Amino acid sequence: MKTAFLACSLFLSACATVSPEQRAVLADPSMRFDAETKHEAPLRHALDNREGSMGGTGVSGGGCGCN
Amino acid sequence: MRVQLTPGRAVVAAFAAVLVTGSAPARGQVAEFDTAHAVFYEAPTKTHMFVYSPSVDVSASPWTWLTVRGGWEADVVSGASVATKAGGVYGATHTADVVTTASVRDVRNLGRGEVTVQGDTTSLTAGYAYGAEHDYRSNSLHVNARTDALQHNTQFELSYARNFDQVCDRVQDASAVDPTQWTALENSTGCFTSAAERTTRDIGIDTFEASWGQSWTPVVTTQLTYSAQLVDGFQSDPYRSVVIGEGIKAQEHEPSERAREALTARVAWYVRSLKGALRLSVRGYHDTWAIDSGAVELEGEKSLGESLRLMLRGRLYKQSGAVFWSDDYTGGAPPLGPHGQYFTGDRELSPFWSWLGGARVVWTVTPTAGRILGLVQSLKLAASGNATGFSYDQYTLGGVLVSNAVAYLATVSLNATF
Repeated sequence: MKTAFLACSLFLSACATVSPEQRAVLADPSMRFDAETKHEAPLRHALDNREGSMGGTGVSGGGCGCN
Repeated sequence: MRVQLTPGRAVVAAFAAVLVTGSAPARGQVAEFDTAHAVFYEAPTKTHMFVYSPSVDVSASPWTWLTVRGGWEADVVSGASVATKAGGVYGATHTADVVTTASVRDVRNLGRGEVTVQGDTTSLTAGYAYGAEHDYRSNSLHVNARTDALQHNTQFELSYARNFDQVCDRVQDASAVDPTQWTALENSTGCFTSAAERTTRDIGIDTFEASWGQSWTPVVTTQLTYSAQLVDGFQSDPYRSVVIGEGIKAQEHEPSERAREALTARVAWYVRSLKGALRLSVRGYHDTWAIDSGAVELEGEKSLGESLRLMLRGRLYKQSGAVFWSDDYTGGAPPLGPHGQYFTGDRELSPFWSWLGGARVVWTVTPTAGRILGLVQSLKLAASGNATGFSYDQYTLGGVLVSNAVAYLATVSLNATF
């Protein structure tokens, strides 16, 4: 358990590769995967109902709307 | 004194922990208004569907640590869908219309509310949504926890939703003891009332998602998302019949349990020379109905000046069919013929591939001084158009291949921050 925790800590500490002053581009909306979630919701809803699969776009929702 | 941590207390304690570790409770007083309007249209062989989907959302952050959201959306549906599905072998020997269609008119209304408590690096969200159609009711609860680590280079997110849904169905004759003798629902009249000829069937849906986001360099970020879903209950289309023998049709009959999982990997790469980003998304999916699918999506988004962004996207998708899916349950050489105890006329469960192409433009207005009309801090307008085409490997309507299976979706949206 301790070994696993240590391994995870080392792995994640290696991920801290971008300092705060270098993050300007990462904050750009074009670099965000969820920048236009509300605008894209109808498209994801249509695809979910025309394809036999799901996943990767969040869990919330309600109703069928499956025509 | 030891305090037993019940689930209720655990939730309160978790929210309290966020409050304690969160930032100072400075007053944020930010409010947002969102509205989107989408139009969907398709007219493949024998059927057509038109859906108008408006939505309105408002959110308010009276303090920096609290955001409250509420919203409404609707689907206004009209069209014609397949009521009785027959396959190629049956269609070849029966000259009459073996495939019938029925008109569809429905309105889905959905109301939702959500509360987020956030600190410097952590947020907790809980929400509820209620959806109602003539023939479907949905109660959905969801919770989400998100945390940033390692100087905001790493994000972890866990989400869970539970749906308590109900679908209207026909009360079957007492003599119809086997699903092969069941009759499809004629219409939604009497649904969710005490009408003797109507009943409701439950559907429970548990959805779980875990996601890890990571910034690797000043211009590369990734996200890995695992999604899982358990569906338990009536999953057939109650209105659809399938021809399963000579002169015999029955309400489609799908398994009541389905376990689904997907793994999605995304990468975004900013290309400085283009002043834009490329985003690639790859998703693999598998479920216990033996549907395997893969989707690859590529988006390119470029800034045109300070306030305009243009995005182009392309997507390819391919899936195998459900293990019990057959184009014709009455016979023929494999893959036709009966496939066990279940039968369906659902084209979404058949093997097919699809393509999608689209474009989106986003215009953002943020005054350098003051507010628009003395009120609005920033304004964002977005418009998009998408077309998606489906190529069905085996699905026919009485032997007639489905052509013109192209769907169009146009969306406009507005976001205002006050």
